[in-house]
Amino acid sequence: MKTDCMSSGWLIAMITTYLLAAASAVADVPLLYATIEPAQISMGQSAQYTITNLGSEAQSMQLPVVAGLNFQFIRQSRQLEFVNGIALPSVSIVARVTPQMAGIFSIPGATPKSPPLVLQVNPEPALGSYFTPRNTGPQVVPPILTGATIPSGIHLTEDGSAYVRLSIPKREVYVGESVPVEIDVGMRSGFVSSLNGLPKLTGDDFTLNNLSRAPERSEKILAGERFVLFTWRSDIAVVKAGTFSLSAEVPLSVRVRTQPRKDSLLDDEFGDPFLRNFFGPTVPKDINAASPAVELKVLALPAEGRPADFHGAVGTFEIASEISPATAEPGEPLTLRMHVTGSGNFDRVDSAMLDHVEHWKTYPPKSAFKPSETDGHKGEKTFEQPLIAMKPGKQVIPALAFSYFDPIARRYETARSAPLGVMITPSLADSALTAQQVSAGGSAAPENTYTAGLRPDHVVVGRLTSSLIPLYLQPRFLAIPSILALAFAGAWLHTGRTSRDRKIPVRKRRISKAANRLLAHMEAAARSGDPAQFFSCARTAMQQALGARWQLAPDQVTSAEVDARIRGEGHDIPRLFALADEAKYSGHDLHATDFARWMQIVRQQLLSDKSP
Amino acid sequence: MIARARLAALLIALALVGCQARAEPAETGYSAAGLYNLANSYARAGKPGMAVLNYERASLLAPNDSDIDANLRHIRDSLRLASEPRSWFDRTFGVAGPTVIAWTGVAGLGLLGLGVLAGRMTLRHRLIRLAVVAFGIAVVGVTVCNGIVLWPKLHEGVVITGATAVRVSPVPMGDALFVLPEAETVSMVAEHESFVLVRTRTGRTGWVSRANLAPVVAAKSDPGSR
Repeated sequence: MKTDCMSSGWLIAMITTYLLAAASAVADVPLLYATIEPAQISMGQSAQYTITNLGSEAQSMQLPVVAGLNFQFIRQSRQLEFVNGIALPSVSIVARVTPQMAGIFSIPGATPKSPPLVLQVNPEPALGSYFTPRNTGPQVVPPILTGATIPSGIHLTEDGSAYVRLSIPKREVYVGESVPVEIDVGMRSGFVSSLNGLPKLTGDDFTLNNLSRAPERSEKILAGERFVLFTWRSDIAVVKAGTFSLSAEVPLSVRVRTQPRKDSLLDDEFGDPFLRNFFGPTVPKDINAASPAVELKVLALPAEGRPADFHGAVGTFEIASEISPATAEPGEPLTLRMHVTGSGNFDRVDSAMLDHVEHWKTYPPKSAFKPSETDGHKGEKTFEQPLIAMKPGKQVIPALAFSYFDPIARRYETARSAPLGVMITPSLADSALTAQQVSAGGSAAPENTYTAGLRPDHVVVGRLTSSLIPLYLQPRFLAIPSILALAFAGAWLHTGRTSRDRKIPVRKRRISKAANRLLAHMEAAARSGDPAQFFSCARTAMQQALGARWQLAPDQVTSAEVDARIRGEGHDIPRLFALADEAKYSGHDLHATDFARWMQIVRQQLLSDKSP
Repeated sequence: MIARARLAALLIALALVGCQARAEPAETGYSAAGLYNLANSYARAGKPGMAVLNYERASLLAPNDSDIDANLRHIRDSLRLASEPRSWFDRTFGVAGPTVIAWTGVAGLGLLGLGVLAGRMTLRHRLIRLAVVAFGIAVVGVTVCNGIVLWPKLHEGVVITGATAVRVSPVPMGDALFVLPEAETVSMVAEHESFVLVRTRTGRTGWVSRANLAPVVAAKSDPGSR
């Protein structure tokens, strides 16, 4: 009996232990868990997220919030699940997960102790939309900005789909000052279909510079609603003094619901949930979302204390200078650089650098601006000025100066760089190197390809000349042929005058030949008894002879001229001219002896140098 | 008359002697051998630009020196630079140095003048006088042709630095058109401040900084070659 009691006691203890173990096992089963299917999708696709509660309380189940992922509630269902043979009621919530950008997303577990789920979204770029995620580097999960209520400075559009906020760090600026601004555009998920342009400022008194093309993207929850937030950073510059009202606006397309929500819920439940908007069928509508106006006071730059080299730069700047190369030859261009760093309106940062420096030739500088990667308001502007040294030796480049207006200190400032030293060596082409010096200098250099195959040096240096210009092109040598040419020209002229003196006997010889021909004609006329021909030839011969003596042309020697020049009775020459006229016009018959006499007279006159 | 002619001849002779004395070689200056040795030294020192420059200068004074020609061609071939062979015109009228050619030209001018004067003064020996005049014209023509041969070389320059940028305008910030190798010989067309307008053998033109280029005929006496 005692044994039976003991056996039954052991049995009860074992059953009790089993029940305790079973209860412990049930207690270890997680009451809340989540799954996602599939774990890898592409942009434009959706995944199904299911969160299950092994209990009847569904209030503790909440959809997670992950930046870059949009969770849309689809349905809620109740089931019975058996865990270790125990039937447990469960509640499941199914949501559609739509990625807004590519990357690997970590979805928090259903409970703090649950491991996170991982969803990989592969890129599939689309064009023409500002919503398109840029796959330009490692994906950074945008931060979640939380907020239960709408903060001040944010005014939603009438339909509550979007808002624009303009952030300016200061309300009092100077003319020309570059002020960094931030423009936030918040768009409610599912309401805004597209962003139709870049934000812009209202009014003509401001210019928006360096607006970032790719805005920063994040998410923000306002009043329990999820907003996709785009942030642009830019600079505004004011062109005139005064008080201005400033706001920013951006064009959007929003979707307006056209069907009651209850119908859309049915569509989601029984239709294709991935093709319908959660809130029902909608139509697009273009709107302009604007930010609340901001008052900005613009002050004029003070005229007092304005430096002469001030070009309108407003901000905080520092300068540094450098020159390269540090060693050069006269005539070789060097580059002087001035680096202006800081923050401000770099478009007004300008400098003429060095204008006139003794022993230097300066050229106008060029400039280039490199903005900061994080803030376009900051950066570095580099001025490059070519310089040419005109004189060898150690030269000093004077210090550079740059003037600007400091809006914080509210006064003009002048930044200065340190003077620079540069060594200008004599030009290689004009150096006084001798062959020996070059050889000595070149001996330390390694052997080059030119050495082999060179013919040896000449031993005899030979005659020296003072210039490489050919002798016949040197002005002092040209004097020699010039003197020679002048001498020959003088001799030519001199011999020409002598020749004129010698022309008289020549002329005489020529006249004698002609006279001989005339004498021959006279003899022929005498033989034929033709007095007219005889005296005609005699007169022609006398005209030539007398013309030569009297420096007259033969036809100018007429009877009147002969009578005028030869006076006296009984002279034969005038008688000869008279007989010639008589024989020609009257046909006077002359005796044969007369021919011989007149022949003798003419011959004597022709051979005589003296005037009759 | 004879006394005046003698006086004129004496004055001419004195003037010629004076000019010749001025044109005589100086104690310091250039010599073909000195320039050749200097070019060899630059070549051994690994400065082909300066070597070619001095070879070119040496060839001006001694155009028929085979050593100068051979070493110049050797340097250019080593640098793979184009070398143009001398034309028959260059070889014919560059037969002697410009100094010899210059005095030969003076002699030719003298013969020409004497031949013409003789024909003015006498009618005898007509053929001899014509031969003298023709010979004088030929000798003067040789001098003129030598000047035609040397004229382009007088306006040439040699690139003395490596990778010299040829710019579109005569300013340091001018855009670079192309790059000239060291030891390249170019024609200098014009100058503007510290830049020289050059034309390459292929006909390309551009501006080069004077610091990168040395003219074959230096504007001033270069003591380095003495």
